Amino acid sequence: MSLRFRNSLLALGLVAALTGCDREQRQTRGKPLAETVPASTSPDTVFPGNANVPPSDPRAAVYEGNATAISEGQRLYNWMNCSGCHFHGGGGMGVALIDDKWRYGGRIDQIAATIVEGRPNGMPSFRGRLTEQQVWQLAAYVRTLSGQARKDAVSARADEVSNTPPQTQTKREPLTPADSAEQ
Amino acid sequence: MRRSTVAIVAVIAVLLVAALLFWTSRQNSGPDLSTKQFAGPSSNKVIPARSASPPDDGNWTMPGKDYASTRFSALNQVTPANVGKLQVAFTFSTGTTEGFEAPPLVVNNTMYVVAPWPNNVFALDLTKPGAPAKWTYEPKPAAAAKGVACCGPVNRGAFYSNGRLFMNLLDGHTVAIDAESGKEIWRTKLADINKGETMTMAPLVAEGKVLVGNSGGEMGVRGWLAALDAGSGKLAWRAYSTGPDKDALIGSQYRAPYPSDQGKDLGVKSWGPEQWKIGGGTVWGWISYDPDLKLIYYGTGNPGPWNAEQRPGDNKWTAGLFARDVSTGQARWFHQGAPHDLFDHDDINETILVDWPAPNGQRIPALLRPSRNGYLYVQDRRNGRILSADPYGYINAYKGVDLKTGRVIPATDKEPKTGRVVRNICPGPPGMKDWNPSAFSPVTGLLYIPHINICMDMGAKNANYIPGTPFVGADVKMYAGPGGNRGVFTAWDPVARRKVFEIKEDLPLWSPALATAGGLVFYGTMDGWLKAIDGRSGKLLWQFKTGSGIIGQPISYRGPDGRQYIAVPSGVGGWAGAIVSADIDERDPTAALGFANATKDLKKRTTKGGTVYVFALPQ
Amino acid sequence: MRRGGAWLTFLLTGCNGYQNAMGGDGAEGANFIQLFSVFMVVCTIMYVIVAAALLFALWRRRSAALVVEDRKHHQTSALVRPALFAWTALIGAGLVALTIASFFTDRSNAAEGSKPQLILTVTANQWWWDVEYNLPDVSRTVRTANEIHLPVGIPAEVTLKSNDVIHSFWIPNLAGKQDLIPGRQTDAQLLPRKIGLYRGQCAEFCGTQHAQMALDVTVESKEDFLRWYAAQLKPAVAPANPQQHAGYRYFTTRECASCHNISGTPASGQVAPDLTHFASRRSLAAGALPMNRGNVYGWVADPQSLKPGSRMPTVGLKADELHSLVAYLETLK
Repeated sequence: MSLRFRNSLLALGLVAALTGCDREQRQTRGKPLAETVPASTSPDTVFPGNANVPPSDPRAAVYEGNATAISEGQRLYNWMNCSGCHFHGGGGMGVALIDDKWRYGGRIDQIAATIVEGRPNGMPSFRGRLTEQQVWQLAAYVRTLSGQARKDAVSARADEVSNTPPQTQTKREPLTPADSAEQ
Repeated sequence: MRRSTVAIVAVIAVLLVAALLFWTSRQNSGPDLSTKQFAGPSSNKVIPARSASPPDDGNWTMPGKDYASTRFSALNQVTPANVGKLQVAFTFSTGTTEGFEAPPLVVNNTMYVVAPWPNNVFALDLTKPGAPAKWTYEPKPAAAAKGVACCGPVNRGAFYSNGRLFMNLLDGHTVAIDAESGKEIWRTKLADINKGETMTMAPLVAEGKVLVGNSGGEMGVRGWLAALDAGSGKLAWRAYSTGPDKDALIGSQYRAPYPSDQGKDLGVKSWGPEQWKIGGGTVWGWISYDPDLKLIYYGTGNPGPWNAEQRPGDNKWTAGLFARDVSTGQARWFHQGAPHDLFDHDDINETILVDWPAPNGQRIPALLRPSRNGYLYVQDRRNGRILSADPYGYINAYKGVDLKTGRVIPATDKEPKTGRVVRNICPGPPGMKDWNPSAFSPVTGLLYIPHINICMDMGAKNANYIPGTPFVGADVKMYAGPGGNRGVFTAWDPVARRKVFEIKEDLPLWSPALATAGGLVFYGTMDGWLKAIDGRSGKLLWQFKTGSGIIGQPISYRGPDGRQYIAVPSGVGGWAGAIVSADIDERDPTAALGFANATKDLKKRTTKGGTVYVFALPQ
Repeated sequence: MRRGGAWLTFLLTGCNGYQNAMGGDGAEGANFIQLFSVFMVVCTIMYVIVAAALLFALWRRRSAALVVEDRKHHQTSALVRPALFAWTALIGAGLVALTIASFFTDRSNAAEGSKPQLILTVTANQWWWDVEYNLPDVSRTVRTANEIHLPVGIPAEVTLKSNDVIHSFWIPNLAGKQDLIPGRQTDAQLLPRKIGLYRGQCAEFCGTQHAQMALDVTVESKEDFLRWYAAQLKPAVAPANPQQHAGYRYFTTRECASCHNISGTPASGQVAPDLTHFASRRSLAAGALPMNRGNVYGWVADPQSLKPGSRMPTVGLKADELHSLVAYLETLK
């Protein structure tokens, strides 16, 4: 075949390959499962003899760093009044979420458990008030407040009076695991 | 005349007029705060209402010192001459480190210290050296209440009456404690934390009724003031701050001083449908009482949400001052300080009951009201008519007070709109002065006001209502107002209607004031300095750095040895101190409802604490 | 014949009576059609003349074009100059006519919109319309969603706001488009002239479900409108039997109340359509589905399969929860 024809074919093939690359799946429905986060997720505790450590929740991989989940979580963070107590991560009635201090664990499944169960010093329980998918979307967003998510997954700007740098510029700090099982 | 002469005269005249206009416009653009001393106090003095301010017996039985809320001690052992020698007599640590606002009460040589959550009360025996505790009362209120307390799990104090102490617990109970033994006599549940209600205010006890109100204006809570029977704790009456007249106890006795506050069921009609049920108007501040008129005076909090576009109408009866009959709760009059409030300008500040010298020589029963919206109202306390209303700081959110209608005139360019940010609104949400009360000295005739100079940027957004969660709808960022100082201490002459002196403070002033007959005024700063100033000149005479920021009421009492003592709680917190007490991250300027931006440097200047410091002259 | 049939259908799709830009059922719409006709006439005449001149130029024998330049000055045709003058004058006259017509149309629209007697606020969200009727007596405000009722012949002013992105408010039969821009207020004037049912549509791409963001517009007589308004002012009907009670309990204590508002109940969410009189509406999900029992079941059970990406989550209801919820929702007339 002629050079021009071959080059055009290659270019077309490249374009087709790139457009066929779905970077992530957008889950609009979520799995309508029963409305509990597994009780095996523990905030921070001693596992006697390192035995019976609960396995990691498979949903963590689905929602962690998923751009759709994070952007839905950003919307829900304002709608469900999380911003009323935690503001844009600085805290107030609730603790600060942009720092690296976690009372009840900072893994995505621990954050999801905190939202569902509530916590003793005033975090309300949202069990039954949010669907399970919404809880995990919120947990994915909360993880980004302290720079735990990939730069290309987080939202690039927020329309609010905050004047903090956009999340794409937040320093990416690895989480120090509070859960003794991970240490 | 020659044409050139006419021209020269005309030019000079124009220049003179221009200069005059320029000079007067500078006057009207805000009070000139640069000079420290103004003209001296006038000779025709205001005195505290006599029936509400009995002679001082050396005790401190209620947070306001007396029913007139003067916060004035008649003890005069400590004077400007010897205050330099004031030293620590003893200290007491409560073991808690939340914002410490409650004044210690002193009765019968016992000091009662009321701590913030978990609301423990300690009775200290002042007759023994070091004041050891006689008993401790541990009410164990629910920890979950901390999650719905907007501005710190604080407590503004207890009230001593007839051998009992009355106080509120954060999780919505009012308790009566036997002052001798520390045993709980009754506990009444009035508020529900699952709806976002808490209780933080100090009760007022009068005519056998314990008057208490709820907190939660930021949580979509419906506000109320309740009266419990002091003996049994049973509910005698409850007056809501929104809703139909029968809930707000507005009946035949009610006569509003201004027409916009008079009408049927205004607590429903001045809201969109059903909005009054989650409308705010909580009663979390101060109550004064006139034993002659048998009237209580208290203010209601802000309407909810902060985003005013979601609640059209005047939003009665929020952000205003009520006068009610103490036995029945029936309203006598109401004046709204911020109709259709746009800026969280609650009206719960203290009212000081005074007798006012009228021009004809008579004395009008009046009240002084340094309101959150920036105006210092003087009102006839029989009917609520405004005698004067003057700004005591820089205001651009309002253009003035229309004395014919009694309403503030809003500045339309400062009105927050959903989806936009309106910048540089003064005063900001804590107002010209927040809850921390002023003191009045009959000796100097001046009102001593510890307050703030804070402006804000406000971005309004659509607020969603979920019970037990915040119902606000605003992103706020606060910062220092004109001049750069965040705090101001003002001495105000209520008759001459102007400042006599003013002290600029770097940090916001969040502590109440204390005035003494010795001629001194005490107040604390947020980085822990307790300061004594001369009541006439404002000169700083003595200061002491305590372990934590001071946001609590200094008091003065006569000890068992006859000496005058000054006591102050030291423990930073509350809304202004949340950045320290709640460990807020200052990288988010909207945190703590915007205060994080205004107190970014506070973590470097103080840390958490919870200690009472007691001072006296050396023996 | 088949090809002709296809073209005919194509032509007719723009002509549904209820969503028809040429409907002219409102004052602004009627003015628009008038102006459109004037423009069509003038422009058609100009087009015909230009086309004729072009055809003539193409058809005219080209013999004169083969003449080579012979260095002699040839006089141009005597008709050219007057023809140019006439042609310029014609264009000028045409433009002036169009300008005058446009001016009078604008003036008519402005005059009709200058004294509104009914004020509404429409707030666009992704992907539904929040409609509020604003009266001077604020306690008689009516809030509904995805529907507008208008009394015929009475000028209404609609204040337009948006809570998230730019949308566009378009009721083709009544008036033209107006954008709803977050952080700004725009407005539109509506003066309906004919009683009927119409359909409005979002006309600015606003996300995944832009296509399913429609409005039901009902233009009715003044008496019917007031009757409808009085019914809307009433709080929600209380549940009457145990199944409706169970639905009410679920609604007010579970996920629904986090977003939706039903007046007279504890459910006061502000971020989703107001459902106080849900069952009285003609459609649900912003015009996506007609209102009937089957669609209500389908929507409540799994909104994401009907309008994927919309903000209402699929909850995963159990069968008895679904039955009681729908039973309760159907009572909200």
